[in-house]
Amino acid sequence: MSDLVIETTGLRKEFRTRRGGLRVAVQSLDLAVPAGGVHGFLGPNGSGKTTTIRMLLGLARATKGSMRLFGTEVPRGLPGVIDQVGAVVESPKFSPNFTGRQNLQLLARTRGIDRDRIDHALATVSLTGRDRDRYKSYSLGMKQRLAIAATLLKDPALLILDEPTNGLDPAGIREIRDTVRDLGEAGVTVLLSSHILAEVQQVCSSVTIIGNGRMLASGKVDDLLGASNVYRVRVSDHEHAVRRLEEAGFTVEPDHGVMRVETDRPPADITRILGESQLWLEELTAVRPDLETVFLELTSGEALGEGVKQ
Amino acid sequence: MIRLLGVELTRLRWRRAVVVLLAGCALVTVVIFGGTAWSTRPVSDEDLRQAQEQVDEELAQPYMQRQIERCENRPQRWGVNNATQCAEMMGPRLEWYVSREELQVGRAFREAGLGVITILMGLLMLVGTTFAGADWNSGSMSNQLLFEPRRPRVWLAKAAGVLALSLTTAAVLVAGFGGALLLLANARGIDVPPEVPGWMAASGGRAVLLIGAAAIGAYAVTMLVRSTVFTLGAMFAVVVGATLVMALIGISEAWFPNKNLSAVIWNGAVYYVEPPSACFVDGRPPRGLDCNGRERLELVEAGRNLGGLLLVAGAASVWSFRRRDVP
Repeated sequence: MSDLVIETTGLRKEFRTRRGGLRVAVQSLDLAVPAGGVHGFLGPNGSGKTTTIRMLLGLARATKGSMRLFGTEVPRGLPGVIDQVGAVVESPKFSPNFTGRQNLQLLARTRGIDRDRIDHALATVSLTGRDRDRYKSYSLGMKQRLAIAATLLKDPALLILDEPTNGLDPAGIREIRDTVRDLGEAGVTVLLSSHILAEVQQVCSSVTIIGNGRMLASGKVDDLLGASNVYRVRVSDHEHAVRRLEEAGFTVEPDHGVMRVETDRPPADITRILGESQLWLEELTAVRPDLETVFLELTSGEALGEGVKQ
Repeated sequence: MIRLLGVELTRLRWRRAVVVLLAGCALVTVVIFGGTAWSTRPVSDEDLRQAQEQVDEELAQPYMQRQIERCENRPQRWGVNNATQCAEMMGPRLEWYVSREELQVGRAFREAGLGVITILMGLLMLVGTTFAGADWNSGSMSNQLLFEPRRPRVWLAKAAGVLALSLTTAAVLVAGFGGALLLLANARGIDVPPEVPGWMAASGGRAVLLIGAAAIGAYAVTMLVRSTVFTLGAMFAVVVGATLVMALIGISEAWFPNKNLSAVIWNGAVYYVEPPSACFVDGRPPRGLDCNGRERLELVEAGRNLGGLLLVAGAASVWSFRRRDVP
């Protein structure tokens, strides 16, 4: 059996437009999410992230291709694995006139889940005090937290979160980030779709980046960011240091009182050469591209929100 | 499936619009029964006293006195045998001022009961459509499917919930209305023909089934079009618009929705058909030709027509719900 929790092969989704045209939201997508850890799922607006998630969860039909969750083909085998899957898709969707607790009770009873788990889920997202208020009176952040509580009812092995921090204040974002990280560390596989790339970089061990319904890159975050060969160096005698490093064969670019040193040699060589000249380091930092830079480079040619028209 | 049905019944019970509509059902039934009881109440001594006062007042009017005098002078010209009958013949009568009819249980069930059945049908159709529409409007359908992805089961559980609620409500209220009429007649000492309770039970039973089917139909259409407002518009178009169009283009009344509903409730309905043109030649219908322009729509035919309509709506709804993407 495959150790992939999510696997799609040649996944394609077409929508008919009102004028009879065809819009391709997802095309030939091969997604592979291994068991355990937090996997980021990134892409610009309209790139097909939500559509892919909706297809995986049986809410939308794939036009072509195959999908597996825990090695089971979906949507046909979805009833067999749904107890292991918790998901928040786009904005939270509950009955507005029911209380938060009533909404969870209905969902829990659908799967025969104990009432204790409702209390546990509400406590996990800090909604215990407001659980008997009507859902429509909730702030966006509370609605988002209730949606996450709903995913926790099932004690899932796979958690699919589509923009879970939308509408949350900084404290709420941090809570969700910690929850997601804890779940990932506890062995739950989390597929996290988010626009907040700094969040993704902090939490995710691997990512998939898509654009216009196609996969652009996938792999471990470190691999995607690449090994750094640029260092930011600061010493008190700036000019002397530049001279010494250039004499030693480094490419040095002064930059507002610091140096950007480019080299394939290990950073210890920089320390050694400067030290031999009695120049003591105040800062030596590897300059790596962040996920945002990689994301923007990869998606710069992708039109936003349009999908592919054929 | 039983668990899902329990969930849907709870969802129905918690939905405020449903509770309001059910309260409306009960209120309408009570009001119509109250109206029937009031309009057929026995004449009291006070009613008789007030009526007598009105009669006396009328008799005391000068024009009435003159009329009676004329009659008494020439009774034969006024069609009475002797002068003592003039006041009785010319003057107002007591029953004119206490003209209430006595309660007739069968008639009351057919007339006022039809009102109850029609309004219950409308309100319980609203229950079916608002129940499904709320799930689509709030988007909570997708959340429900994340917990039970077998869509036909979800459709069926919701339909069963609507059916159970509408059948129970209709059965309680229609039986309550009929039972209350019988009790009222009994309390007033009015004899009820022996065949009437059985006829009421049979008609009421068919009405309850019809109401349940109508609620399911409204639910099915809403699940198909995913909008309460659209469903209500479509229902109005079918009941009113389709009848008008059919009448305009000359389609037989046997296809009119109201005739079919009547035929199911009352075990057949009479409708008008254009007699053959031969009926109008020479002013006298030829022997052997049916020229009375009346046909009978049988219960089975009407049941087949309405059942077919429900089946088509239900099948389209399930098919669509199974295949279409859920927002």
